[in-house]
Amino acid sequence: MRNWTSFALAGISALALSACDSLTPVDEAQSGDGEGTIELAEFPDRPYWGDTHLHTDNSVDAFGFGVRLGPEEALQFARGDTVTATTGAEAKLARPLDFLVIADHSDGLGATRRLYDAPRFLIQDETLLRWHDMMHESPEQSQLAIAELITAAANNTLPEAMRDPEANKENTRDIWTAHLDTLDRYNKPGEFTALAGFEWTLMPDGNNLHRVVMFRDGSDRTSQVVPFPGLSTTAEQLWDYMAAYSESTGGKALAIPHNSNLSNGLMFEMTMPDGSPMTAEYAAKRAAAEPVVEVTQIKGDSETHPFLSPNDEMAGFGVTGWELGNLPLTAKTTDDMLAGSYVREALKRGLSLEEQMGVNPYAFGMIGSTDSHTSLATGDEDNFWGKHTGNEYNNAERAPAAQNLGTRVGRFGWNYLAGGYAAAWARGNTRAEIFDAFQRREVYATTGPRMSVRVFGGFGFEDADWDGDWVRKGYTEGVPMGGELTSGDEAPRFMISALKDPDGANLDRVQIVKGYLDSEGEMQEQVYDVVWSDMENRAISGGKVPAVGDTVDRENATYTNDIGAPELRSVWTDPDYQAGQRAFYYVRVLEIPTPRWSLFDAVRFGFTLSEDAMADAVAQERAYTSPIWLKPSA
Amino acid sequence: MTLPRWTREPLVHFLIAGAFVYAFFAWIGGTAVDPSSRVIDVDRDTQAQLALQYERTMGRAPTDAELDAQIEQFVRDEVLYREALRLGLDQGDAIVRRRLVSKMDMTAGAAAEIAEPDDATLQAFLDENKERYQTALDTSFDQLYFADQASAQAAIDQAATASDWQGLGEAISLPASMENASQRDIRAQFGEEFGAKLAALDTGDAWQGPLRSGFGWHIVRLRERASTDTGFDGLRQQLSNDWRSAQVATRKERAFELLREAYRIEIDR
Repeated sequence: MRNWTSFALAGISALALSACDSLTPVDEAQSGDGEGTIELAEFPDRPYWGDTHLHTDNSVDAFGFGVRLGPEEALQFARGDTVTATTGAEAKLARPLDFLVIADHSDGLGATRRLYDAPRFLIQDETLLRWHDMMHESPEQSQLAIAELITAAANNTLPEAMRDPEANKENTRDIWTAHLDTLDRYNKPGEFTALAGFEWTLMPDGNNLHRVVMFRDGSDRTSQVVPFPGLSTTAEQLWDYMAAYSESTGGKALAIPHNSNLSNGLMFEMTMPDGSPMTAEYAAKRAAAEPVVEVTQIKGDSETHPFLSPNDEMAGFGVTGWELGNLPLTAKTTDDMLAGSYVREALKRGLSLEEQMGVNPYAFGMIGSTDSHTSLATGDEDNFWGKHTGNEYNNAERAPAAQNLGTRVGRFGWNYLAGGYAAAWARGNTRAEIFDAFQRREVYATTGPRMSVRVFGGFGFEDADWDGDWVRKGYTEGVPMGGELTSGDEAPRFMISALKDPDGANLDRVQIVKGYLDSEGEMQEQVYDVVWSDMENRAISGGKVPAVGDTVDRENATYTNDIGAPELRSVWTDPDYQAGQRAFYYVRVLEIPTPRWSLFDAVRFGFTLSEDAMADAVAQERAYTSPIWLKPSA
Repeated sequence: MTLPRWTREPLVHFLIAGAFVYAFFAWIGGTAVDPSSRVIDVDRDTQAQLALQYERTMGRAPTDAELDAQIEQFVRDEVLYREALRLGLDQGDAIVRRRLVSKMDMTAGAAAEIAEPDDATLQAFLDENKERYQTALDTSFDQLYFADQASAQAAIDQAATASDWQGLGEAISLPASMENASQRDIRAQFGEEFGAKLAALDTGDAWQGPLRSGFGWHIVRLRERASTDTGFDGLRQQLSNDWRSAQVATRKERAFELLREAYRIEIDR
């Protein structure tokens, strides 16, 4: 490794360094957080839309899968420019994003690109040499090589050279520094926010414990560290790295766990990773470092599973295929593992742990993102550019194809979701404002559509508040999503407003998901329908709200907004509240049924989906807000 | 495709690349090395470069021992590199071929990457690409929302005379008024269709519409539309980025064209 990397880099680093060096230094207004240059609203006045989980050609796997677009093209695409995708077609977002976190894997940052570029005769390790050759042979072979690489990483059998963080550090620093420079150039307070980040990829036995780490700061601070490697480290070490970064630079960083659905129960355990009882210290560290989880993305949705929430008729979105096993499908998922893999259950576990220890390790907000490995942050069903370059927009085979990772059984192309987005309620579009919204959990997840969802919790809200300045009232007399209330004798009330995506589908219903500890201290959950479209004609029968209907034309992949509502809002009081209860409440908003990307593909390319795929080709897209917690007074 | 035999010689490729690299290093003031020579001269310039590279990586200058180690590594790489060339290991190796190709591309583009465009250049670039930078329009407007078109239509006259116009519309969580909002912000909140229609209206005190959005129908009063020309200064960074990537692409193409002209290409059909 030492040989081929130094060789490969010797030539280009001279060029690259001399090039970077002479660029104009980016002035503070560009690289900084925009304070003093941007007028901020009094209260967060609109959600800003972004993706915190995008891979470019600096990621080991993304490059191996074939992507040849780098961070610069990723930023151009996210801000709304047209770019030429790796496989040649022009790509553009219908609407630009407001912020982006490029989260390339810290392990072997740029390593596959270097392995690919390395002269063959200098590669000594047999495995690396084989992968090198496969990467050059054909796109299919390249994907196989990367599948092997991921499996090797999962089983901790990567070639020594790739595992040695010290040996890779120098190369990592070159790439990282150049990357931070690019971010500063594209960061434009008020218009487009480019945040630094990386993905930390711990995966014991293939069980996914990945986190995205995101920074609040410009390169003056972020260049003082290099991304922290995931393999052979622990989550606690990652949190220590983040704390050390804050300590030494005065900057801030947070971590976002994701794909808990592929962790086989390890992401949200009731114990320490070694099985011993969880300590308050560990819980506090985790809570401080990880205020938000990514609940939905291309590789499935982690809100809840029908096994865990049998009374939730809307459970099970984005579960098909992903519930079978861990990331590379080297170990099957059994029912007893599910509780540690899904977010709603984790939120409940958090209540229980807090009851025992006084600290809640799982008090997190929720966001969605893409996890796209194409450098293209697409989350729209009609503009899906695939998980990786092997299944980009113009690949007609991608929906029916068996998935190309690991054992290649059980998962199919159509199991991929189009991806999600993160919405942040902020006072302006700057690094500081966006990051702080994440930190205080005033963020929410959607499965792609951009509906505006607001929720305030308090005790004094009433219906008449809608007639006045209800947002002000929400902030001054209550707490927004992500906040905490102290429970008392009175039942909490929630002021909820859900506005449809202006360019998307109407809304079916707004629900509250409540998790709580009952009088025996047992974890419970309850889903309430709060408000729904056409309430006069859709009266509850048998305890259920009748389905909203379905306007999707399966032949043409179209739908109409003849059903549903543009906005749903309500002040809701918990009817089952018990005095002093420990609980959380989050809002779930459902759209009317719309075509999924697989149906758009079937129409566009003129093929018929299999029966299974067809049954899953229409779905109700959704938003999940961060919870509001109710805590007993101390 | 049949090319003259010599054009397929890796050595020729290498020599051309070498010439380019030489020219480049000569231009930036570095030293180029004749790979066939048995002399490895680690001169002061080379040492300074090694030290500088170390400093960039570690954030401090190397100690003497560390510089020695860097030199050692440099010599080791250089020996292996030249011996590899002598053994002809570069020949018939698709990877070497590809690396040289991409290095040629980089060399051609690098001049543009390090060039610092002056204002006149950027202004010219702006003039050529006006449409791309034209989105900045600040709009101030009031709007009332109605679920159906007829109610919206009926409200136009009422709104003109009403003292409390805000009370006329139907409830929805959209701002009744926006001040100095960008097109981008308007479209994000009201949708593409509404944004486009609003952009086509004239300013004035009268209520206009109804305009359709994804939510329903709106009547609007377009109070002001100012060109927020952040001016050239506000755009400089973006122009510089865009100009640079355009230049890199153009230079690569131009460099290739130049070389390409020297070849006669015969393609058997």
